[in-house]
Amino acid sequence: MRSGKHVGMLLGLLAWSGIFLHGQDVWAQGFKPSGPIEVVVHSKAGGGSDLFARAIADMTREENIIPHRMQVTNKSGGSGAVAMTYLVGKKGDTHTIGFFTPVLIVTPLTLKEAQVTIQDLTPIARLALEPTVAVVKADAPYKTMRDFVEAAKKNPGKLKQPGGAISSLDNLFRMLIQKATGAQWAYINLESGGERVANLLGGHMDLMLDNPDKSHEYVRAGSMRVIAALTENRLSLYPDVPTIKEQGIDIPILTQSRGVMAPPGTSKEVVAYWEGVFERLNKTPRWKKYLADNLMEDGFLRSQELGKFWDTETRLLRDVLKEAGVKVVR
Amino acid sequence: METLQNLSLGLSVALTLTNLSWCFIGVFIGTVVGILPGIGPPGAIAMLLPLTFKLDPTSAFIMLAGIYYGAKYGGSTTSILLNIPGEPSSVVTCLDGYQMARQGRAGPALGIAAIASFIAGTFGVLGLMLAAPPLARFALRFAPPEYFAVMSLGLTMVAYLTGKSVVKGLLATFFGIWLGIIGTDLFTAQSRYTFGQVELVDGIDFTVVSIGLFAVAEILVNMESRVKADLFKLPKGLRNLLPKLQDLKDCRFAFVNGTLVGFFVGLLPGAGATIASMISYGIEKAVSKHPEKFGAGAIEGVAAPEGANNSDAGGGLVPLLSLGIPGSNVGAMLLAALYLWGLRPGPLLIHEHPELFWGVVASMYVGNFLLLILNLPLVPIFVQILRLPYFALYPMVLGISIVGVYSVNYSFLDVWLMGFFGLLGYLMRKLHFPMAPLVLGMVLGKPTERALRQSLMMSQGDFTILFMRPISATLLSAAVIILLSPTVQRLSLREKKGPQRV
Repeated sequence: MRSGKHVGMLLGLLAWSGIFLHGQDVWAQGFKPSGPIEVVVHSKAGGGSDLFARAIADMTREENIIPHRMQVTNKSGGSGAVAMTYLVGKKGDTHTIGFFTPVLIVTPLTLKEAQVTIQDLTPIARLALEPTVAVVKADAPYKTMRDFVEAAKKNPGKLKQPGGAISSLDNLFRMLIQKATGAQWAYINLESGGERVANLLGGHMDLMLDNPDKSHEYVRAGSMRVIAALTENRLSLYPDVPTIKEQGIDIPILTQSRGVMAPPGTSKEVVAYWEGVFERLNKTPRWKKYLADNLMEDGFLRSQELGKFWDTETRLLRDVLKEAGVKVVR
Repeated sequence: METLQNLSLGLSVALTLTNLSWCFIGVFIGTVVGILPGIGPPGAIAMLLPLTFKLDPTSAFIMLAGIYYGAKYGGSTTSILLNIPGEPSSVVTCLDGYQMARQGRAGPALGIAAIASFIAGTFGVLGLMLAAPPLARFALRFAPPEYFAVMSLGLTMVAYLTGKSVVKGLLATFFGIWLGIIGTDLFTAQSRYTFGQVELVDGIDFTVVSIGLFAVAEILVNMESRVKADLFKLPKGLRNLLPKLQDLKDCRFAFVNGTLVGFFVGLLPGAGATIASMISYGIEKAVSKHPEKFGAGAIEGVAAPEGANNSDAGGGLVPLLSLGIPGSNVGAMLLAALYLWGLRPGPLLIHEHPELFWGVVASMYVGNFLLLILNLPLVPIFVQILRLPYFALYPMVLGISIVGVYSVNYSFLDVWLMGFFGLLGYLMRKLHFPMAPLVLGMVLGKPTERALRQSLMMSQGDFTILFMRPISATLLSAAVIILLSPTVQRLSLREKKGPQRV
């Protein structure tokens, strides 16, 4: 018993000296997780957010950034609404985080069943951006986006663009370009990315607006051609391809962004801890390689700027959705 | 010659001790995943993905592919023994497989499922090996109008699945179609029949409906009868544990049918193994000399769908590996895995990484063989489950069903829905409504609607797009012939036998 007490005192002393030695560090962080972290994603196992979260869980472990395991929980359903409701229910839980994409901004705007919006959650960090490019089949006559727009003007509604849901970014980009140029072409909703690529390669449809990872291999193999980058600046991947603005089509740029959020009521020190974790991840070569391998761009934003980004994106997307003829409920 | 050289390259990759081990691990996990309802290959692959980062991509792909096609073997086990569809594509296997088990033929049913899987799986790989690039180019000729024709062809199978009452069959079909369209409409982003429930926005999962209709309803029906002793006739002696030569002869056509239908449907992105097994079952019944036996334990009714869902895996790898186009959610997982390993799946993959493509092809021959020798000895062991008394068996079935359904979306609403569909299935059985048309409607209804609307969007509302394209025109004509032939048969029968009630 006695010796136990002494050991305890000794440990206490050691702990205190530890705090003095690394004083600033410990005070600045304050919070450290004491067990496994639950990571909520809105896609099923194997979906975009799921793979992104699992890759990050793996990287944070390999780089020893978090002392505990990150356990991915799939809360699929309701186009993201189920995951958001679940996260809101975790209010004040310091061991749960979630991943967001613009779907979580669009869903509450269009789905009356949704009960919460992204503004109910605590922003942590934006991590990656996925640019959008315009591609056509290699033997199509269009060399630039302007060519395509001119062709669409000559045959209104005849040219076809395969895409996803009506509220997805590829359709919103189409609406913006149509509005800016007066051209009209059809949008064919196809459920999977595979079907979209197949219809473009098969020559059944004419233009695809999507992330470069969907088309880059076909561009490299010479079966597709990039005719515009739908970005502010030219992409390092395609330095010779002019941006849509360079081609004289002035539209607001929408971004496929990915990042981390926490439940409502997350305290400042917990937010600071998570910001620190992802800032450290952001600086590792492993992360840079991951971005390059997956044709993503670094989009790091801290909590405060991310909150502002969510608000501006919400306003922009609400306007574009209305423009696109989608019923906006909020 | 070139193929042979490539195959020997593939074999040299696949037959190393390391890769053989990974192949075995993959097909073993696949079998287990197939046996357990609910958790499917996508979930299993997602869970194992982080472990594969340190592996050589070829070894890792050999293992993950093993899970993919291995699960198709395991899926039949619970379907046959307990009427629980282990995988969505094994729903069709319940129809005759479970009836065979009740007649004491569980062994032959499980055996024929393994043999059909082996034959179809092996021929599927053969197709993948010999002609992947040209087949993938052929698949690219399928646009929405052609998909509409394929789906319509599938829907005409209703004509052969309705049973005695056409009205009840059609009612079940329409109910299935309605279940299938619950959720968000792809075209307008509007919710259909979700009753304000956010959990229903993505629709009702097929697993939930099928486990309720088959497994839970079966328990309810059996609880009713007081005599339990003769529920399962137990097979006597080892001889009756495996299919006999006559069984294999009976299934000759089913093997061919399953292989071809599965492989062809597998080639088309977005169609899926459930559609393949459904169509091959319908064809099997349509050409059968004794269609009345289907649904009452016809061995061909097990062989055809089990074959189809296996060659679907080989077919699905054709566009995936030669063009980078995934055909299903498992395919999308495998594609994502290739990206995570730093490879670029696309038209150049086979040229830039021949060791991967040919290694995987060779490993699939090995894997299918491993699965056959893994699964056949398991048959007598699994059949012992039927010896369990009902008070032990039913709670077990219910437990497996609940866990399986919950693991699909981790949602309790799904468990309640399963209970609801159990009650519904019970009522349908009591009122003699056939189950197969409901399943067919649920699987095919939404894709048919979707392909039709996509076609009309392409043609700006002009219906002739469906008939002006050669492939869709041919398939639609076939659909009309299939739809009319039972009526013609009945009419000609009536002429021969004189007037009778149909």
